[in-house]
Amino acid sequence: AFSAGSRLLRTCRGGHVVIRFALGGCTNRPFFRIVAANSRRARDGKYLEQLGCLDPLPNAYGEKVAGLNLERLRYWLGCGAQLSRPAEKLLGLAGFLPLHPMTVTGAERLPRRRQREQQPEAAPADGSAEPGPGP
Amino acid sequence: GKAAQPKPAFTDEAVQTLLYKMTGLNLHKVFRPVKKALKPPHYKLMTEAQLEEATRKAIEEAKTKLIMPPVLNEREPIDDVLAEDKVLEGTESAKYVFTDLSYSIPHRERFIVVREPNGVLRKATWEERDRMIQIFFPKEGRRVIPPTFFKDENLGTVFQQDRHEDVLNMCIAQFEPDSRDYIRVHHRAYEDIEKHAKYDLLRSTRHFGGMVWYLVSRKKTDGLLIDMINRDLLEDATSLITLYHMLHPECQSAKEAKEGKLQGVDLIKVFVKTESQREGYIQLALQAYEEAMATSSA
Repeated sequence: AFSAGSRLLRTCRGGHVVIRFALGGCTNRPFFRIVAANSRRARDGKYLEQLGCLDPLPNAYGEKVAGLNLERLRYWLGCGAQLSRPAEKLLGLAGFLPLHPMTVTGAERLPRRRQREQQPEAAPADGSAEPGPGP
Repeated sequence: GKAAQPKPAFTDEAVQTLLYKMTGLNLHKVFRPVKKALKPPHYKLMTEAQLEEATRKAIEEAKTKLIMPPVLNEREPIDDVLAEDKVLEGTESAKYVFTDLSYSIPHRERFIVVREPNGVLRKATWEERDRMIQIFFPKEGRRVIPPTFFKDENLGTVFQQDRHEDVLNMCIAQFEPDSRDYIRVHHRAYEDIEKHAKYDLLRSTRHFGGMVWYLVSRKKTDGLLIDMINRDLLEDATSLITLYHMLHPECQSAKEAKEGKLQGVDLIKVFVKTESQREGYIQLALQAYEEAMATSSA
C-alpha cells in the first residue's frame, strides 16, 4: 500500500540544522559534499543547501581539493547550525575555525601508536629468532 | 639622469592610435572563415548603398575584433604563511587545497589556502589559484591543466607550421595576462617572428600591436622596417619611428627629428643613419621604393 502524499513532500518533525558530509561517488571512489541538512534526514538524502565539497583522494598534483562556500557557511552558523566532528576538523585544517582539539590529540597519539606497532614486530621477531640459534 | 616625463605606457592613447594604424585592416583576413560546422553559402542581392552600409558595419565589427590584449608586467609570486602548526606533522600524506566558493567575490580576491603535510597553512601560488578557479568556475576555452604545446620544446614545432596566431589566441584564452606563461609564450612567438621575418602573419590581427611594442622596447625594429618599406607602407614606417621616439626620447634621431620637425622619408633616413644596425639593407629597400615611385609616377 502506498503512503498518502508524495514521498518528495516528506518533511522532518523536529531536528536541528547540521553541517556535515554527505557521501557520494562510486565503489572505491568516495566524494563528499559539505551540506547543511536537517539532522533527522538520511546522510545522503534531501538537504537544505550544499556548502561545498571535498575530494578525499589526491589528484595528479598530490592535492586533496576542497571547496567551501564561506559566505553561506557563515549564514548557517549564524542561524544556529551545528557541525559534525569531521566537518569541524576540516574547517580547523582550513583555518576558518581554530584547530580541533581531537586533531591535536590524534596527531600526538599517532607516533605513539606507530612505536607500539613497531615494538611487537621487533619483539616476536626477537622471540622467534632466539630459539633458532639457542638450542 | 631622471626622465623629463614618465615613460609612455602601452595603454596611452597616442601609443594605441599608432599601434592601431600599423595593424592595418584587411577585412579578408579578419573575417577569414573559422573552422565551424558546414553550412551552405548565403547569397544576398544588394544595391550600392546597401553594400556600402554592409561594409561599414563589417569595419565596425572588425574594429572590435582588433582590440589589443593587455600587456602587463609579470605578477609577483605569492609567499604568505598564515599559520604554522608543528603538531600536524606526519598526520597527513597529501596537502589540502581549500577554495572559497562565495559567488560574489572577484577571482583576484578569492581566498585559496593550502595546508601542507608539515602543518603549514599558506596562501596558494598563482598556478594553484588558476587551476582551482578553473575547476570551480570554469571559463570557456580554458583547461584545468594547460595543454602541452605551450611548453618551450613544443612551441618550435608549432611555429614551424606558421601557426603563431592560433597559438597566441589559445594563450590568451588559457592564461591570465600577467602570468609567467602568457608572457613567455608571447615573447617566444615575437622572437620567432622577428628571426624569420614573418611579420605579415600577425598583420591585421589583434597581436600586431603587442609585437610592435615588444620590438620597439628592445630596439629590434630593423626587420619590421624593411618589411614595411618592401610592402610600400610608408605611413606605417613613419608611425613606427614616431613610436620609437616616444619610447626612447634620449636617442640621437629623436632629438634631430624634434629639432628639424621631419616628416615621411626624411624621418626614416635620419633614423636609419643613427639607430639601425642593418643600415645597408634599409638603404637598399628605400632606394628600390623611390625607384618604384619614380617609374610609377613617370
